Amino acid sequence: MEYYLDSLSLLILISSFVLVANKRINSYIRTFRLQSFLLVILAGVIGMENFFSEGSLEIIVIALLILVLKVFYIPRLLQNTVNKVEYKVEKDFFLNIPIGVLICCALVMLVYYSVSSVIPADTGHTRIYLVNSISVVLIGMFFMISRKKAIGQIIGFLVLENGIFTTAMLTANGMPIIIELGMFIDLLTAVMIMGGLVFKINENFESIDINKLRNLRG
Amino acid sequence: MEILVLIIPLVTSLLFWLSNNKKVLHYINIAGSALLLLLAVSVTGRFIMQGLDSLIFLSDLFYFDYLNLFMLDTIVIVSFLVSVYAVGYLNEEFEHGLIDIRKLKLYYSLTHVFIFTMVLVVSTQNLGLMWIAIEATTLASVFLVGFHNNKNAIEAAWKYIIICSVGIALALLGIVLLYISTVGLFGDPHNSLSWVFLYENALLLQGSVLKISFIFVLAGFGTKVGLVPMHTWLPDAHSQAPSPISALLSGVLLNSAMYGIIRVLVIINKNLGSNVYTGRMMMAIGLLSIAAAALFILPQKDYKRLLAYSSIEHMGIIAFALGIFSPLAVYGALFHMLNHAFTKSMLFLCTGNIFLKYKTREISKITGVLKILPVTGVVFLLGIFAIAGMPPFSVFASELNIIIASFEAGHYYQGAAFIILLALVFAGITSSMLKMFFANNVSEQVIHGEVNKSGTIVVVIMLCIIAVTGLYLPEQIGAFLSSAAAIVSGGM
Amino acid sequence: MANSVFYIIVQILVMVLLSPLIKGIIGKIKALSQKRQGPPLLQMYYDLYKLMKKDTVVSDTASWIFRITPYLTFTATLTASLFIPVTIYLAPLSFFGDIIMVIYLLALSRFFMTLAGLDTGSTFGGMGSSREMMISSLLEPALLVAVITVGLITGSGSVHGMMQAAAADSITVFQPSYLLTFMAIFIILIGEACRTPVDDPSTHLELTMVHEAMLLEYSGRYLALMELGAAVKELIFITLLANLYIPLEGLIEIASPALALAVSLVFYLLKVLVITVFIGLAEVFTVKLRLFSLPNLGALSFTLAFLGFVQHFMLGR
Repeated sequence: MEYYLDSLSLLILISSFVLVANKRINSYIRTFRLQSFLLVILAGVIGMENFFSEGSLEIIVIALLILVLKVFYIPRLLQNTVNKVEYKVEKDFFLNIPIGVLICCALVMLVYYSVSSVIPADTGHTRIYLVNSISVVLIGMFFMISRKKAIGQIIGFLVLENGIFTTAMLTANGMPIIIELGMFIDLLTAVMIMGGLVFKINENFESIDINKLRNLRG
Repeated sequence: MEILVLIIPLVTSLLFWLSNNKKVLHYINIAGSALLLLLAVSVTGRFIMQGLDSLIFLSDLFYFDYLNLFMLDTIVIVSFLVSVYAVGYLNEEFEHGLIDIRKLKLYYSLTHVFIFTMVLVVSTQNLGLMWIAIEATTLASVFLVGFHNNKNAIEAAWKYIIICSVGIALALLGIVLLYISTVGLFGDPHNSLSWVFLYENALLLQGSVLKISFIFVLAGFGTKVGLVPMHTWLPDAHSQAPSPISALLSGVLLNSAMYGIIRVLVIINKNLGSNVYTGRMMMAIGLLSIAAAALFILPQKDYKRLLAYSSIEHMGIIAFALGIFSPLAVYGALFHMLNHAFTKSMLFLCTGNIFLKYKTREISKITGVLKILPVTGVVFLLGIFAIAGMPPFSVFASELNIIIASFEAGHYYQGAAFIILLALVFAGITSSMLKMFFANNVSEQVIHGEVNKSGTIVVVIMLCIIAVTGLYLPEQIGAFLSSAAAIVSGGM
Repeated sequence: MANSVFYIIVQILVMVLLSPLIKGIIGKIKALSQKRQGPPLLQMYYDLYKLMKKDTVVSDTASWIFRITPYLTFTATLTASLFIPVTIYLAPLSFFGDIIMVIYLLALSRFFMTLAGLDTGSTFGGMGSSREMMISSLLEPALLVAVITVGLITGSGSVHGMMQAAAADSITVFQPSYLLTFMAIFIILIGEACRTPVDDPSTHLELTMVHEAMLLEYSGRYLALMELGAAVKELIFITLLANLYIPLEGLIEIASPALALAVSLVFYLLKVLVITVFIGLAEVFTVKLRLFSLPNLGALSFTLAFLGFVQHFMLGR
């Protein structure tokens, strides 16, 4: 059981590396989809175990919610936005890919050292889960700042939320279900608003390059 | 009955879509906020008269105690005054053809949803629900910030939503860590995010995880509060939004986010037993914010942006006070939240009038305000001095409290730095803004006379409030504040 | 002593005799996937035999480096192969940290190949040399990290020890971090063996040549030695993968050592066959990467190795 959870958390971390190594917007969305699918499997496994030991369906419901929202709906929403917003196929990133990937490795090390100083080594697998999940959060943030197009920032934000969800799921069997539902609604609304804003940015600035948004300074 | 506090703004926001008549919309707006105000006052009155400690309703999620009620009253009073102002403001914009009926409905509706989310933040004890509400305030106000739909507004809205969402997501990580530190200790996990429960059992939690959690919560909610270095969205959002919205954002939203920090701060201080860890961080971030604000105020050319930086400064002051954490300091912090709410909203509403008259946001293009808008001009002038910390206005009183507390607690250097920085900010604000008032060469296109009658009355009322509370705080309100402060610092 | 000599003989024979077959198998797979018949499996043997009989032509401007390199690379590669045993049943040459020796020997051979590419003064050679250096500078650290991780997981410092540990106790050894190192070493294998997507072994266009460019000036027995050396290098990595990650030796429970040796050699052949087919399929299904995208691949393999390393550390051992 723990072997599966270990591997899943590792795969989620790898998927965030794959995200940083991608160069095109369509690949971002596909990788995000893959990562969310891994999250569904994770929640499903924990949910099944919970169901058989305590008979509560909550986590399975959450897993289904993630499936519907993050694997189907939100990627479709983003893909529609991307299709309607004309963009040129141009270089999207500030740092080239290998350096970005190496920086993410350094972030993993940073998280490892921080977590190790707080959590002693013998508390089971908590340490490995925390390091993997918080690394995903930091890699999501790095992805946001290393991409020039607005869509990249939305995807970075979504990956960040994925990381937080993984942290909650692995270490504490998820937050109480009301909170999870609230989080989903918040996330969905946030993504919809961000998508709407991308349209407006495109209307006003003729591109979705964030560098163009530089009028307000100082 | 208390649940109506939440239901009313929500219902009001829906009612707007039923009518297309401008006057009806204005009435619904004022009626909604007035009703909310009456309800909040009655709940508070009942609370005080019955001598209650706390009020819980609707399955343990919603909760009122002195701290909550204090924040709720601040929010509701300011919202009411801003709503009254907005009527005149939007009328003017409507006359000039800048907005149409649909936009008017959108504005009102979103404003009331925004008020609803802020009320939600302060009426719950479940930290998770509080987090959801704070995120919801961001989402509700994005389109309000981008209301004018031009390049700058959209840029401000984008920065707002991205930076605040990331910040709040980090705060979520902090709350998740807080939740993790309770796992395994308590049988029923549904209680683990309840503030009352956490407060009672604070000593049982794992200190080390709580420390990391506090860092994330401070960084996360601090983004929403506008503490440096996470403040970059604030000047843009507060300057590009329509003035009544800026008043709401600066006056009450920042307070609500600070409230989030306070709740977590109390638990962590109780657990760690002393406030050295959190205090150092809060004081450092507070002083940094004030210093950064002082630095950025000097070259400002846009008066609303300048006021936004002043908000950053005041939030820094509150953070500094919370870092000291002695009873007097906490009292000063809460008092300051109240004073800043009124003073800053008043200032932003005045700028609304000025913007309507002069149609520009640049300081250099505006002269002779005292002549052209006599009432607004006087209020604005006095308000600038008030926000910079001059007696007899209320901001001075709370800042004085904080300085005294700082020296009493032995933080001599920090207190001295605090005073110096405040003086710098005073100089910066007044030197930049005073040019606007006195007439040199007033352009002919600008017509004499007040422009927003209802709004002007509102700002005059606010001016009186801050003048009075600066000199003499009515006993009841003082006691109210003290009880609220006792909740915060009671853990020590 | 006799055991060691016997071992060296067996190892060298297997390496030299088996490596040309790999090229044949991969070529056959590629041909079949394109619905051609393709060259026969033993094609490389025929080629090597033909090359041995031919004259060598050496450019006037070439120095002694050009002449010495084929012998040097071949010897270095064969020596490196001595530390990666094809079977764990013979007492091998191994010592703590021998993997670093292997990496250095391979680096030595690569160094001389690069120099030889520059030596003739032809532009193709120089270009191939610089590209080869770039690719190897990305892959070598990854290889080091991957193998060290494997060493940490299996608790042994020599490659032979690692293989023995993998065979003895495959359940505990097969953790996520172990599998990550497998992926990392597989990518490195593709890089070192100059297969698609890193390099196209059948092209002679300047746009896409790396390894071929350095060999362009060679002919006759020099070319034969260089080709054989490259094939042996490929087989080294395949052996590494085969014996570390497909430890079938645990199934052998035969008492007599000679018979056990024979059976393990048969298993080895099967494993090599499987991995070769795998490589062939990977070649069929991918396209050659742009040159400047190669650092991405290097970074990827480094990351995989690094993550395996960190994951292993985090489990608190």
